[in-house]
Amino acid sequence: MMPTGKLARMVVANATRSPKHFVLSAFGIVIGIAAFVFFLAGTLGVSDVLLGKVFPLDQVEVIAPHTSIAGKNLSQKMNADTVAKIKARPEVRDALPRMTLQFPATGYGKFEGQAINFEVGGFTDGIPDAHVAGDPKLEPVFKDWEPDGKAMGPACVPNTPNNCPDKAWQYCDASDNMCHHRVPVIISPTVLELYNTQVADSHGLPHIGVMEQFIAERGRDRMHFWMGLGSTMMAGSNVSIDAAKHREVGAILVGVSDKARRVGLTIPIGYVERWNRSFVGDKAASEYSSIIVTLRNKDKLATFSQWLQDEPKLKLEDQLGASFATAMFVITFVLLGIAFVIVIISAINIAHNFFMQVTERRREIGVLRAIGATRADVMAIIVGESAIIGVVSGTLGSLFAWLASLGVDWALEHVAPKFPFKPDSLFNFEWWIFASAVGLSILFCVLGGLLPALRASRLEPAAALAQN
Amino acid sequence: MVSPVISLRDVTKSYGQGSARTPVLRGVSLDIAPGELVALVGQSGSGKSTLLNIVGGLDKADGGEIKVLDHDYGKTAERDLARLRNTSIGFVFQAFNLLDHLTCLGNVTLPAAFAAGGKDAPARGREALDRVGLSAYADRRPSELSGGQKQRVAIARALFGRPKLLLCDEPTGNLDSATGHEVIEFFQKINKDDGVTLVIVTHERRVSNIAQRVIAMRDGNIVEGAGTDVHTAGTGDDLGGPA
Repeated sequence: MMPTGKLARMVVANATRSPKHFVLSAFGIVIGIAAFVFFLAGTLGVSDVLLGKVFPLDQVEVIAPHTSIAGKNLSQKMNADTVAKIKARPEVRDALPRMTLQFPATGYGKFEGQAINFEVGGFTDGIPDAHVAGDPKLEPVFKDWEPDGKAMGPACVPNTPNNCPDKAWQYCDASDNMCHHRVPVIISPTVLELYNTQVADSHGLPHIGVMEQFIAERGRDRMHFWMGLGSTMMAGSNVSIDAAKHREVGAILVGVSDKARRVGLTIPIGYVERWNRSFVGDKAASEYSSIIVTLRNKDKLATFSQWLQDEPKLKLEDQLGASFATAMFVITFVLLGIAFVIVIISAINIAHNFFMQVTERRREIGVLRAIGATRADVMAIIVGESAIIGVVSGTLGSLFAWLASLGVDWALEHVAPKFPFKPDSLFNFEWWIFASAVGLSILFCVLGGLLPALRASRLEPAAALAQN
Repeated sequence: MVSPVISLRDVTKSYGQGSARTPVLRGVSLDIAPGELVALVGQSGSGKSTLLNIVGGLDKADGGEIKVLDHDYGKTAERDLARLRNTSIGFVFQAFNLLDHLTCLGNVTLPAAFAAGGKDAPARGREALDRVGLSAYADRRPSELSGGQKQRVAIARALFGRPKLLLCDEPTGNLDSATGHEVIEFFQKINKDDGVTLVIVTHERRVSNIAQRVIAMRDGNIVEGAGTDVHTAGTGDDLGGPA
């Protein structure tokens, strides 16, 4: 067998001596590999956004199935025991109970000089304070400040300029003329994204990048708003709350967390328990609306789902993330299938080109055999030439895919309208995509060159040299 | 006694199969001693080139015993046969068989690609070109050379490995008379100076005239005899058509 360095030099010289043949052989593979890299990086990038930010697959929501007979609600309810049972599962890292505000409530206030009004009842969840314990910015402020429901501040005069000692964190509650701590509220990244992409521009409001930075720049008091417990903005609502129970509560937006409900507000669960008890009854104060389960990793979802199927009292909320994941898998599969078909056809084309080359180069092969090349040398030379085409095609294909992605990303930034979670790039070019692209390219080129190489190596030198 | 460079015993070779099977060599036996300059003559289809190819390991015999440079081809692996061609046997063909994409020096040093080492290959290549008087043409492509120059480059390539045996198949067949004469003289010189054993397939009298031995072939057999017996096998200057 000829020395590797000499083989490499000969292979490179042979592969580059006929640009026309090289381009003809490489063209299809370049297209195929470009499609492979483009599709793979594209679906990976989109998946990252959808499944990483919008629908994290390692988080699922467990609810109690709704059942009723003859109009009577027989749905099982979830409580602290349910949470403990789920937490005991080996595939579960954490279980976060949620309690929804079960009576009408509104939110209103001013933001950047503009009046805002929104529905809070049904759109507000309570979660245990401990669930933001890992967040150093939220941990000190996101908690039930008045667990016994009693005011923590001094007496005050309501409906006048705030005369509580800590104007940023306290408000004067008209129900007892006492200074209360404002209810800390967090929102999800989805709400922030919806605000930035759908609300901010249309209402002339500023974009918010990092919430904490925004709060620091504008001041805590700019994050104040009011919650009207017992009132609603929904026309036709038939829920009647005794007007005597109506109450205005001061709230303060303290930050953004992925622990918050996707759309709506999230507050410490103690407030929701007290308010549900006060406005609806004791039962509403002990039933959880859902449990957010964080799995040890997304691969545990199947095991957890299987367990839930055997639990008649529990089920998974519609798994949009799983549906998107399935859809992305199918799309990726189809697109990569197309890329593979292109590459396979190109490999056949390479085989055809090399068969022609072997016929054209019979005399050359005969000369090489006459001066000392073994059959293995001849085979290595032809296979090496096809591998060189593979290396160049894989690199060029990857480069073209990357350039195409720059074009698409430019269009995304300058042409496409804003939408929630709009990423800077639709592509995720992981290093292994390039590596596998070049590897695949080499593999298919070598496969294409293998049979012609075998034929070349089997040529009898005398017969090859006899060619006119 | 010195062992022969080439020793053939009852070598047979046929082409085709079944009823189309055509015997080309019908039990050829011969010995060629080291340093001999042998002309292999005969009419077209007599089996000269086939015999040369079998001796060079470029073709396989159907039967018989072939020993070249102490290698029994029946027991020699393909890899060892390739090494033998690389290091000890040189070939010169009628059609030159130079690779057009390489320079003259590249063609001459090509055998070094299939051997380990060889850092001195360019120097040895230039030396070989110098011997055939073409050192100034080292960087030229074969397409820029005349027929005679191409054949000299081919001879330089054959001599690159300092072979003990040079097998030449109609080396002057594509050359004009004057150039052919130069090539013949060169063969004589390397045979005399370097002691290289030469077997030249030819149908030209001027080549056989310089041979120390002329082996004539007819219908796949060696016709024993030399000089006028063999020469009269052809007509005029011609000793037979291409094999």
